[in-house]
Amino acid sequence: MKSKIDALWKWLDERLDLSQIIAFAQHKTVPQHKYSFWYYWGGISLFLFLVQALTGVLLLIYYRPGPEAFDSVRQITYEINFGWLIRSLHAWAANLMVASIFVHMFSVYFMKAYRAPREFGWWSGMLLLMISTVFGFSGYLLPMNELSYFATKVGLEIPTSMPIIGPLIGDIVRAGPEVSEYTLQRFFALHVVVLPALFVPILVFHLWLVQRNGMALPPSEEARPVQERKTIPFFPNFFMKDLAVWLITLNVLALLAVCFPWDLGVQADALKPAPLGIHPEWYFMSAFQILKVFGNLLPGDLGEAMGVGIFTLGIILWMLIPLYDPDSRSGERARHATYFGLLVLAGVIVLTIWGYAAL
Amino acid sequence: MNYPLWDVPMIGGGWVIGITAIFHLLISQFAVGGGLYLALAEQKALREGRRDWLEVIRLHSRFFLILTAVFGTVSGVGIWFAIGLANPEGTSALIHNFVFAWAIEWVFFLVELATVAVYYYTWGRISDRLHLQVGWLYAVASFFTLFIINGILSFKLTPGSEWLAVAGSGQEASRFWEAMFNPGFWPSLFLRMGICSSLAGVWALATCSRISNDKPKLKEEFIQWTAKWLLPLFMTMPFLLAWYVHQIPEAQRVLFTLGVNTVAPGVFTMVTRMVVIILVSSITIMGVVYFIALRSPSDFKIPQAVVIVFLALTLVGSLEYTREMLRKPFIIAEHLYSNGVRTKAIERVNKDGYLKDTLWIRGGSKTSVARGEAMYRGQCMSCHTVDGYRPTRTLLAGRDRAAIGSFLKVLHEHKPDSPYYRFMPPLVGTDDEVQALGDYLETLVPKTENSFK
Amino acid sequence: MSGTKETVTRRDFLRIILTGVGACYAAAIGYPLWRYLISPAEQAKSLAAVKEVTLKDAHTLAAGSVLMFKFGSHPAMLIHHKDGSWVALDAVCTHLGCTVQYQPDRNVIHCNCHGGEYDAQTGKNISGPPPRPLRPYVVKVIEGGVLVSRV
Repeated sequence: MKSKIDALWKWLDERLDLSQIIAFAQHKTVPQHKYSFWYYWGGISLFLFLVQALTGVLLLIYYRPGPEAFDSVRQITYEINFGWLIRSLHAWAANLMVASIFVHMFSVYFMKAYRAPREFGWWSGMLLLMISTVFGFSGYLLPMNELSYFATKVGLEIPTSMPIIGPLIGDIVRAGPEVSEYTLQRFFALHVVVLPALFVPILVFHLWLVQRNGMALPPSEEARPVQERKTIPFFPNFFMKDLAVWLITLNVLALLAVCFPWDLGVQADALKPAPLGIHPEWYFMSAFQILKVFGNLLPGDLGEAMGVGIFTLGIILWMLIPLYDPDSRSGERARHATYFGLLVLAGVIVLTIWGYAAL
Repeated sequence: MNYPLWDVPMIGGGWVIGITAIFHLLISQFAVGGGLYLALAEQKALREGRRDWLEVIRLHSRFFLILTAVFGTVSGVGIWFAIGLANPEGTSALIHNFVFAWAIEWVFFLVELATVAVYYYTWGRISDRLHLQVGWLYAVASFFTLFIINGILSFKLTPGSEWLAVAGSGQEASRFWEAMFNPGFWPSLFLRMGICSSLAGVWALATCSRISNDKPKLKEEFIQWTAKWLLPLFMTMPFLLAWYVHQIPEAQRVLFTLGVNTVAPGVFTMVTRMVVIILVSSITIMGVVYFIALRSPSDFKIPQAVVIVFLALTLVGSLEYTREMLRKPFIIAEHLYSNGVRTKAIERVNKDGYLKDTLWIRGGSKTSVARGEAMYRGQCMSCHTVDGYRPTRTLLAGRDRAAIGSFLKVLHEHKPDSPYYRFMPPLVGTDDEVQALGDYLETLVPKTENSFK
Repeated sequence: MSGTKETVTRRDFLRIILTGVGACYAAAIGYPLWRYLISPAEQAKSLAAVKEVTLKDAHTLAAGSVLMFKFGSHPAMLIHHKDGSWVALDAVCTHLGCTVQYQPDRNVIHCNCHGGEYDAQTGKNISGPPPRPLRPYVVKVIEGGVLVSRV
């Protein structure tokens, strides 16, 4: 038995160079210090993405876009064996994934892991976050219930009210003046084909960069002499811990999905008045609140354009941070970058809370 | 119906029992399994002449003493307090039956308390041999508290035909031994022993994580020894669970599958959902123990220990919740419904009226709504709340008076093919009283259009 | 105590445990997955299992009343209308699967769970949340009973 496995291994290894990969994993090390906890969040996000891919494919088996969309989701929730579980897992994991990417992003930011040579890690990560939020936005419409219908309607009003490009976006994304079955169909295509096709290559690139550049050290660790720094081997030590963390994540996810299964809601009806308290998902709340504040401050399109402008500017600045604070010297620029990060973090939190309080 | 109602808003009286009981079980089951753990660990340390191990065990026994003798006992009294208030009928029925058992349990409990104190305060003051004997005495005494309470708990689900034959006759205590060693006694005892010993391992890991890093070798050894204590126990759990599930009456076993294909409100899906949590949590505990405690013990620190304890809490909580739910709609199967109605009294109450025995009706018994409210408080509120847990208002949303009436008719008739038959007690009372309940429920239903579709 | 033999057996023991854990996990994830995938097949099978049911003595059912019966494992109802016609319908609400009830006084079929209503002649959903009509069966009054069969 054992010799057969060895022979198979040899056959595969000759063709795929597997032993090189193993040697690489064995030599790879992960720094150990008091901020090591934050290294897990990239892995958690990855795990949740895998959960999304699996549960997404499973939902695809019974989901039917078009006029039957709502009914097929009703069927999944109330008729198909464990359909409620798969759907709740998908919905909860989506939220947890965006949340853990946010945690991952801010921890990378404050550990200054965007510095040379890791700029592309930062940029590809930002892209992944943006695509994830579009994943969330497009997926939210698919059940075609009242909440998702009106949230999409309100959400699309923001880009479509922009001058010049607004109507264009309306025609392309919404496929007409109203959210309709055409909108649903293209959101579906976006959600299950276009976005994964964009996301997966960027993700592979992102992960390859992590292998190429290794784990970044926070400035406080970098200041230490090399011989005082502690590391553990990636395989098996860090890998084991990573697996344990994944199990815990799955456990939290299962608890949420089982104790708070996702509601079916009421079938969307365009002719009915919008129910009270329609609001975007929590990860859009801070952006939504900025638009609201500027909309109230300045009259008409001007306020909205200002809001969109400021928000876009913020994202661009955020993305350009590796160019501003490029190297490991802890000069004035590094401090400014940290302050800017704290400001953004506080801003996002305050605006989100404000947004919910103002509903 | 003979007692005043304890109205706990939002969560209901049941959850006061539930929360207290889950907290108590997390500690008291540790008290039982932990006795075994302490005795075995001390025995191993003495046999191998490991004085450094004895120091760790001494520290663990201090933690053990404080947790079990303070929080365990106080929460145990808390359970008595909560069940007496929230479910006086059930408590009364159990006391009348098991007063002897509880008296004996009290004796073992006193021995337990005395020995655990002696055990901790005599470290290094009496001979090793004698100290170990005190440890074993504790382990045995605490085992017998479990042995007895297990009889009472398993009785509620499977009282057994001998006892049921005399139930309600006033001669129940004559079948004490049959009730004590009821059909569910042994599977339940073994399952509980498995859980107790696992919890001992979980809490021991918590102590181990606090061993100072100055002694890395000792810490690793201890964590690994505890992990090896825990993992085999968890592996036997599926078999013990299977045995336990096998003895559950067929009618109740159906509850496992009600939530397979739906999460519809008003259908009883919680048991299926809890099973998912039980499975996932036990596997996560095993995984974390294996990947961290066993394979890289030096990384097992306080956060990991907190995670394990929290997961164990989830596991114990869902196991107990499931066990309670499986008994629906009874407190004592086939004898006493969860709202205090006795199966043998149904016919009489339907003829003579439920409110006849109700002394407390808000605003007197003049209006139909007031009488309906008394019906609601007496028969529904043991499981439902108005707005919180299992909210009546939400569950009835969208129904008019006629729909409420026909729903109550289904509950009143309580036919075996009724969708509620398996988890809701029958609605008892005269037709007039059922009407009154309907009138009251109508006042709860929100009056908005398309509130439910 | 710590001879090589002991270490090996312990390692084997741990390997068995690990395999067991892995198997448990695979089963815990695999079982719902498998049930999820075979759901339509399961439904079709339970529907196809029974082709017809003979209800003994049901022909004596009074006009304007109902008889609940099981078609296979499926609850169903036989209604003898006041105009003399016979109708057999599924008794499972198409909304969330509760058992529905015939109300002779209003001549409708009513679901207690969420107030859905169906026409008692055709099974068509007429008010409330049900998305689809109740499935009808073919009824034939025969000697000594009523024969109900799949459409």
